[in-house]
Amino acid sequence: MKIAILYGTETGNAEMLAEDIMAELEGAHEVTCANLSDIAPADISDDRFYLLVCSTYGDGDLPASAQPFAESMDGSDVSLAGVHFAVFGLGDSEYDETYNNGSFRLAELMTAKGATQIGERVVHDASGSDLAEDIAFPWAEAVVAQASEHLGQAA
Amino acid sequence: MSRSVAIIGAGPSGCFVAQALLKADPDLQVDLIDRLPVPYGLVRYGVAADHQGTKGVVRQFARLFERQGARFVGNVEIDAALLVEVQNAYDAVVLAGGLSQDRRLGIPGEDLSGVHGAGAVTRALYDHPDADALPQLGRRVVLVGNGNVAIDLLRLLAKSPEELDGSDLGAVASEWLANSPVENITIVGRSPAEQAKFDAVMIKELGKLSGVSITVPDLPDTDSPDGAKKIDALRGLAGLSGGPKSIAFRFGMTPVAIEGEGTRVTGMRFSDGAGAQTLLPCDTVLTAVGFGAGPEALDRDRRVAEALDDGAGCLAPGLYAAGWFKRGPRGTIPDNRADAQAVAARILSDFERQPEAGKPGHAMWQGRGGIVNYADWQRIDRAELAGAADGRCRHKISTRAEMLAIVAKTEETT
Ligand SMILES: Cc1cc2nc3c(=O)[nH]c(=O)nc-3n(C[C@H](O)[C@H](O)[C@H](O)COP(=O)(O)OP(=O)(O)OC[C@H]3O[C@@H](n4cnc5c(N)ncnc54)[C@H](O)[C@@H]3O)c2cc1C
Ligand SMILES: Cc1cc2nc3c(=O)[nH]c(=O)nc-3n(C[C@H](O)[C@H](O)[C@H](O)COP(=O)(O)O)c2cc1C
Repeated sequence: MKIAILYGTETGNAEMLAEDIMAELEGAHEVTCANLSDIAPADISDDRFYLLVCSTYGDGDLPASAQPFAESMDGSDVSLAGVHFAVFGLGDSEYDETYNNGSFRLAELMTAKGATQIGERVVHDASGSDLAEDIAFPWAEAVVAQASEHLGQAA
Repeated sequence: MSRSVAIIGAGPSGCFVAQALLKADPDLQVDLIDRLPVPYGLVRYGVAADHQGTKGVVRQFARLFERQGARFVGNVEIDAALLVEVQNAYDAVVLAGGLSQDRRLGIPGEDLSGVHGAGAVTRALYDHPDADALPQLGRRVVLVGNGNVAIDLLRLLAKSPEELDGSDLGAVASEWLANSPVENITIVGRSPAEQAKFDAVMIKELGKLSGVSITVPDLPDTDSPDGAKKIDALRGLAGLSGGPKSIAFRFGMTPVAIEGEGTRVTGMRFSDGAGAQTLLPCDTVLTAVGFGAGPEALDRDRRVAEALDDGAGCLAPGLYAAGWFKRGPRGTIPDNRADAQAVAARILSDFERQPEAGKPGHAMWQGRGGIVNYADWQRIDRAELAGAADGRCRHKISTRAEMLAIVAKTEETT
């Protein structure tokens, strides 16, 4: 399957995780990895499965590298019908009110344009004891398996 | 032979420069040199002990050393003479030593006993090897400054011992906080509330404290969205009444003088900018008004003033600056990352335009005693994690001698 990993980050944790997920999936799939800052809504296509990896900042906001993408999504009439994605969040439960809002908002932006979310959003807690990859690798494996049912023919 | 880069200062800025360099060219030789036997600068010694999530960024930095080939050259302080040697040995040198000295207010009374800078206090709280002892505080504290550092200090002073569970605060600091005589803290900002430098989330976090009562003055509405967030967060705190300690916010007050009897502080005087003065009686003044170059800073102010291109961090041919050293004491860890990427790009483009000089790089350290390398730091790190007390995630080793003893002990047995 063709997989595109897109990350939104400020201090680089999501970027490192995205690269780790790419390394994990590369053997069995055709994987690319890019910063959301380098992606426009029109670049998103239905011939690949998107894995979104995104942190949270400020008051539950998207991280800086995801903000230009979010703004162009808001102002765009692009249709993402037929696009499939899954989302993984990085956050910190110290910020309890806005815990992992960034990844939630990113998923909302995608579905608002007609994209289909595969699987539940899974999140990492920077104040918890788990390593991000220990949660993210099983998540990636599971959503890729689910997606292959949907994308079987296309990819 | 690949080119070599020496980064002086293994804080977040230095580490992010190394990360960007090695991402662009994995063959580069990148060394991170630090005066301390331990890496990560203010992530270890500035970011609050009860904000462990923020310290998670060090996992990226560990990877530099563990997988990307960067080397840690710890326990080496670069002075002017050694800097020349380093410049001769490496193709590029990046000054990323940060800014460690508490900025002074420049008002009368600042040298009275009972006046302490936030940098000095946080270094002592977080077991920095060069820290002075924790100061004796009094009952009534005036905390001057409205940045995140001031709020960190306010929160720690206001927390109950249970609220520090999960932190890496050491035994001495924990006891100092638990037994602190502080009853009353007035936090004073020069700007109006909507222009305060702190982040709204830092203020919101105070709303979770269990043992404090908080008063906030009536605050005017504002048109600025960012200012409105701060005002809302402050209004959310007003009237919080939880316990014996009290916190009062004051805004728009410019420091005029610290007053004292003999050598002790008795109060601090402020002006409101319209001619009126206010005296806040107190026995302790804590200042959190920024940082400047310390004695280890390699003549920083002159170098930055004379920079070839200070935007891109180029001080002189082959000499660069990053982080707080470059930009001043402003900006968080994310800001340093963006800036470090720009500095790295500049270094790489300079490399492209220059022929390789075949400099020795890391070999300059051969035969030099006392260097703490990354494997040594891992031993210190393991000892700190293994030694964590109940309710703590780490036991920081607080002196160079103990750090070096751990390194020496393992050397004997291997
Ligand atoms: C109290 C405090 C709390 C903070 N809390 C946060 C927070 O919660 N979140 C956030 O994002 N930001 C926070 N910041 C800001 C953040 O710490 C800085 O943006 C960042 O650390 C600056 O990085 P730096 O690498 O430039 O400097 P530093 O982190 O200071 O690192 C400089 C390193 O250089 C070394 N060094 C200095 N001189 C020499 C020399 N001559 N030779 C060899 N080595 C040398 C030092 O030992 C140090 O390790 C805080 C800052 C402070 C002061
Ligand atoms: C200033 C600041 C604000 C943050 N705000 C939130 C937040 O509101 N909610 C949350 O879940 N995490 C928050 N976080 C935690 C980050 O999302 C978390 O540390 C994450 O691992 C950062 O990933 P990144 O390096 O890819 O940006 C915040 C972190 C910082 C430093």
